[in-house]
Amino acid sequence: MVEKARRSLVESDERGNPTPQWEVFVRAEAADPMRHVGSVAAASATEAHEHASRLFGWDAADVWLCPAEAVERYSTRGLATDTEDEESRVSEGADGKPEVQDA
Amino acid sequence: MISISKLLCDLDAEGDGLRYDAAEGSKKPQITEKKQRRPVVVWNTTRRCNLYCSHCYAGADLDPASGEFTTAEGKAFLDQLADYGAPVVLFSGGEPLVRDDLVELVSYAADQGLRPVLSSNGTLITREKAAALRDAGLQYAGISVDGLPERNDRFRGEEGAFDAAVRGIENCLEVGLKTGLRYTITEANAPDLEGVVDLLAEKGLDRFCFYHLDYGGRGAEIVDADLSPQEKREAVRRVADMTLEYHDRGEEIETLLVGNYADAAFLVEYAREEFGEAKAQAVYDYLERNGGDPTGERIADVDYQGNVHLTQFWQGYSLGNVRDRPFGEIWEDESNPLLEALRNREEHLKGKCADCQYQSICRGASRLRALAATGDLFEPDPQCYLTDDEVFGTEAGSMVGGAAD
Ligand code: SF4
Repeated sequence: MVEKARRSLVESDERGNPTPQWEVFVRAEAADPMRHVGSVAAASATEAHEHASRLFGWDAADVWLCPAEAVERYSTRGLATDTEDEESRVSEGADGKPEVQDA
Repeated sequence: MISISKLLCDLDAEGDGLRYDAAEGSKKPQITEKKQRRPVVVWNTTRRCNLYCSHCYAGADLDPASGEFTTAEGKAFLDQLADYGAPVVLFSGGEPLVRDDLVELVSYAADQGLRPVLSSNGTLITREKAAALRDAGLQYAGISVDGLPERNDRFRGEEGAFDAAVRGIENCLEVGLKTGLRYTITEANAPDLEGVVDLLAEKGLDRFCFYHLDYGGRGAEIVDADLSPQEKREAVRRVADMTLEYHDRGEEIETLLVGNYADAAFLVEYAREEFGEAKAQAVYDYLERNGGDPTGERIADVDYQGNVHLTQFWQGYSLGNVRDRPFGEIWEDESNPLLEALRNREEHLKGKCADCQYQSICRGASRLRALAATGDLFEPDPQCYLTDDEVFGTEAGSMVGGAAD
């Protein structure tokens, strides 16, 4: 039986408080994978792009910015306190899909 | 954090700075462990504050902010820090005392083996609160005052803030809690330096930390309020002079500088001027082991929403969020090119920082100020006040070769 990770939904309320946060994804060279490199605070996408460019290089092949609040996060090891049972992995469901728990 | 009093007053001029390292742990210098040192973690427990200071890096506000950790989340976060082996957690804000679970969280941190310390504006520290914090295991309270009464109150946006802060300091001292001053040096309050130290030393305070402005948070709006590099040099010289005067009188105050590692280079020059070459060498050796600017390495910050920052002043960028991933994982993930570059910044520093003879005790000072002022992460810090002669070692007494091996 294949084991699947037990992930919990991470609460993401007001990630952009007080300044909107943008998750930053960078592909350094054309053949590289896209990589999440943290987030920047910026009032607009344009400003976020400039901010990210200063930190990660104007010469990166691609930069993507996503409003942090728009990202649904499921994690096996966040701060969620109502998933305290020690077992962090469970078997996959009968349909072969991973069982994901909402916190 | 650079201790002027230790460097100038305690350090043996014979040049064996090694033993100061040994005193902190093992019998031998631990230079090879430098890269594995865990960071001191500043935790902005809340964004709320009862004051509204013009230089606040956290952009703190009077209104509550959402996304703050619950008590349970706070404890789970402290577990993360303990698991990772962070030595110290600095409860900060906002004003941490507006959290009504502060004593509980401090106590929990102490139980997990973290050393809890506090950064506060002092105005809410009653005697009872001070005693409760002490009993919870708090090891130290740093209280902010930014000038003599009139100036401080203008800065902090509230009349009576100075007296309230001093009462807070007195309450801490009365219950036997180790306490120090935090003083952020700006153009407006530089003239008050000595006056504030004299006033508080008289009340029994013996630890004074001077912070340079960094260019994040509301601080960014008052770059203009910063001292010029030349004035900054003078202010640091005055703190050093004052330290020597106090120690000459037998009053052993502790003085520290935070936020501009050009100060390290300056103190070597100062020691040479005042005490000669042997002392300068001892100071240099000690500072080299100390390791220069700690951004992204020996200091970390986690804001009230769980975002991990490279220092407490660098709120505009976050490596990740502890709600998504434990602190240790985020901090260890050098697949992040920015984190990796900062930890190997010697390879990237430009301009005078690239060739500076003091690079290994300074490491280019504040990368955040360089970024804010030039848009380039690796240009020199605009607040480096060293002369070209000092930077390039063209005068007698160069440290290059002698110690930078
Ligand atoms: S030139 Fe750069 S490395 Fe040298 S003291 Fe100034 S900021 Fe530090």
